Amino acid sequence: MDTNSAATPRVDALVAELQAKVEKRRQEGAYPPGLEQELDEHFRRIASHRVIPDVDDLHAHLHRLDATARFTADIPVDSGLPGGSTLHRAMNRLLVRQTQGILGQVQRFADDVRRALADIVAALEDPSCHVHGDLVGQIDLVFDKLASYERSPGDSAAAIGNLRHRVEQLEAAEDRRRFRPWFGNARFEEQFRGTRRELRERYRDLAERLALSGPVLDFGCGRGELLELLEEMGVEASGVEIDPDLVQATAREGLNVTLDDGIQHLSGLRDQSLGGLTLIQVVEHLSAQQVVELVSLAAEKLRPGGKVIVETVNPQSLYVFAHAFYADPTHTTPVHPAYLTFLFREAGFAEVDIDWRSPPAESETLLQVDGDGAVGEVVNENVRRLNNLLFGPQDYALIATR
Amino acid sequence: MEIHQVLVSASSGDASTNAAMELRSLLRRIGPSDIFARYYDDAMAAEVLPLKRYARRRSSRPEEDVIILHATIGEPEVFSFIRDRPERIVLVYHNMSPSEPFESWDPAFAGLLEGGRRELAELRDRVTLALAPSRFSADELLSLGYADVRVSPLVVDPAALRATPSDPATTNHLETMVEGPVALFVGQLLPHKRPEFLLAAYHALVTYLLPEVNLIVVGAARAAPRFRQVLQGFVKELNLSRAWLTGAVTQQQLVSFFRRADLFVTASDHEGFCVPLVEAMAFGLPIIARAQTAIPEVLGDGGLLLPADASPLLLAEAMAAVLTDETVRSDLMARSAKRLTAFDPDLARATLLENLLDVA
Repeated sequence: MDTNSAATPRVDALVAELQAKVEKRRQEGAYPPGLEQELDEHFRRIASHRVIPDVDDLHAHLHRLDATARFTADIPVDSGLPGGSTLHRAMNRLLVRQTQGILGQVQRFADDVRRALADIVAALEDPSCHVHGDLVGQIDLVFDKLASYERSPGDSAAAIGNLRHRVEQLEAAEDRRRFRPWFGNARFEEQFRGTRRELRERYRDLAERLALSGPVLDFGCGRGELLELLEEMGVEASGVEIDPDLVQATAREGLNVTLDDGIQHLSGLRDQSLGGLTLIQVVEHLSAQQVVELVSLAAEKLRPGGKVIVETVNPQSLYVFAHAFYADPTHTTPVHPAYLTFLFREAGFAEVDIDWRSPPAESETLLQVDGDGAVGEVVNENVRRLNNLLFGPQDYALIATR
Repeated sequence: MEIHQVLVSASSGDASTNAAMELRSLLRRIGPSDIFARYYDDAMAAEVLPLKRYARRRSSRPEEDVIILHATIGEPEVFSFIRDRPERIVLVYHNMSPSEPFESWDPAFAGLLEGGRRELAELRDRVTLALAPSRFSADELLSLGYADVRVSPLVVDPAALRATPSDPATTNHLETMVEGPVALFVGQLLPHKRPEFLLAAYHALVTYLLPEVNLIVVGAARAAPRFRQVLQGFVKELNLSRAWLTGAVTQQQLVSFFRRADLFVTASDHEGFCVPLVEAMAFGLPIIARAQTAIPEVLGDGGLLLPADASPLLLAEAMAAVLTDETVRSDLMARSAKRLTAFDPDLARATLLENLLDVA
């Protein structure tokens, strides 16, 4: 073995560098002051506590006892003196019975002590065995679970990937179904609902009903014809509309309009903060649930005496279905006046009236026959009945007072 | 002429027992040779004979026979046996741990160590030849008045060690459950090996420098059981969740630990030779140690030798450097591998035999 112990310069330099690092860290306060002394004292503190031996140590003691608690009556007889061995042997023979008797007692005592200690150790060990067995069982379970997770990452990743793919497909399909016309809503309204002027004329009477009901919220205000009428009358009014193009057009007219979902906007208002709420040609675009929600919100947001005007297509007129209703692809369900009346009454509105509006032109209705006589009367009665059924007013306005 | 060996106690994994086994295989090439021990554990029962059996041997000319005594600790019975036998005595001095560190932990053991030194001095004139594994140990014998003391390094066979298969369960545990770098210490859990110093350094390392490092302390605690318990308490109270005191391990398990380790570290205050240093070299591990007793002599320039009075913080800083600085790390690995060549097992065997034949 080469006993050269001189460290090479590179190791010396490294040691010096490490020492400098330790000093630097100490000075920078990276180590708490007195760390080493504290660790040293900590160790001494633990050492000064009495430590209870564990069962393994007790086994070691028992093991040692096994080896040492064996007494024999062998007495060495060899001797360096002439005749010494003979003398020892003779003494042995004299003493052997007594010696063996005493040793027998000592041995029995030692055996008893050993048995007692072994029992104590076994008793000590027993509960710890239970705990140990329990823990091992639990750890095994944990490992099993872990292993099953580890085994299946491929499967679950694939399953999640598959689900995600299907969700994406469904979303894409749903998106393809969503109505998003390339034509402007303003153009559509002008074509099918009428010009701005026509609409102003049509809704003037409704606006007048709200002369004392400010502030009014026009839910689904479209191009803002009603808002305009209300403003002209000096009624405080604002609109909410979900279509950005329409909102822009309305705002251009200098009217107060918010781009939002109407129900969301309404539910954000303070309770009893409205004097009037109008929904012109709106509820036939909503789902049944949205309609009931809307009515209860209206009850919350209107102050006592406040008015709601709901104008919508009249499903009692079959003419409507041949003309206006299906001309708008975004209409979902017409709302029956009897049902709407019921809703508002149930929501606690004191007065609910229906105003029948826009009857079809008389020129479109069935003609009556001229002349008297029983046949003529029957025919004309039938024509009237058919006219009522087929050519009822195209719209109705429900006016409810809180 | 027969050559037999005597040990106070034989246990598996113990350095002096291993040396006796190694020597026995050499001696059996020459003639019958056995190992006698006053104490031995069950695992050694097949290899070792009880000391009492020695007297029952029939030898025509005992004064021509040789007893090799492996001295590690005092034992009155073994001492009087050796003192009174007619055979020539060769002393293999494995060095005795100083008794002082044991006094508070295991007073009886401290007494045996103390007695051992006295016995060693008294046996001086009975011993024909004294062998010591290091210059450090040899000097100690010379200071006790021994005349003929020769340095004969322990036989450590790196090739055999590297050829040992790992323990599959241990390797599996180390590979799947132990994440992050591993600093390894191998040695019995005895006070003079300073495991508590190592734990303090490790505490500083994981608290202030590198939190992900693991420390594995491999070795039995045959003496001073209370010391082991206190160490475990220390680990628990410092919340060193990545420190592991393994207790006694098999050779296969030991190899598993060496293969997984990133660094070998010892804070020991006293080593007569320190076999684990050479074992760590066999696995090319970077080594950090303090320049105490035989360590500078055995480690040479094969590792990072810190000053004898290095603090726990310096030890922590050294571990951090080895684990993070690739230049330092590869330099130390190269040194470790190079230093291994100084421990040629065949050369060590030849030196040993040559010395024994001088007596014969």
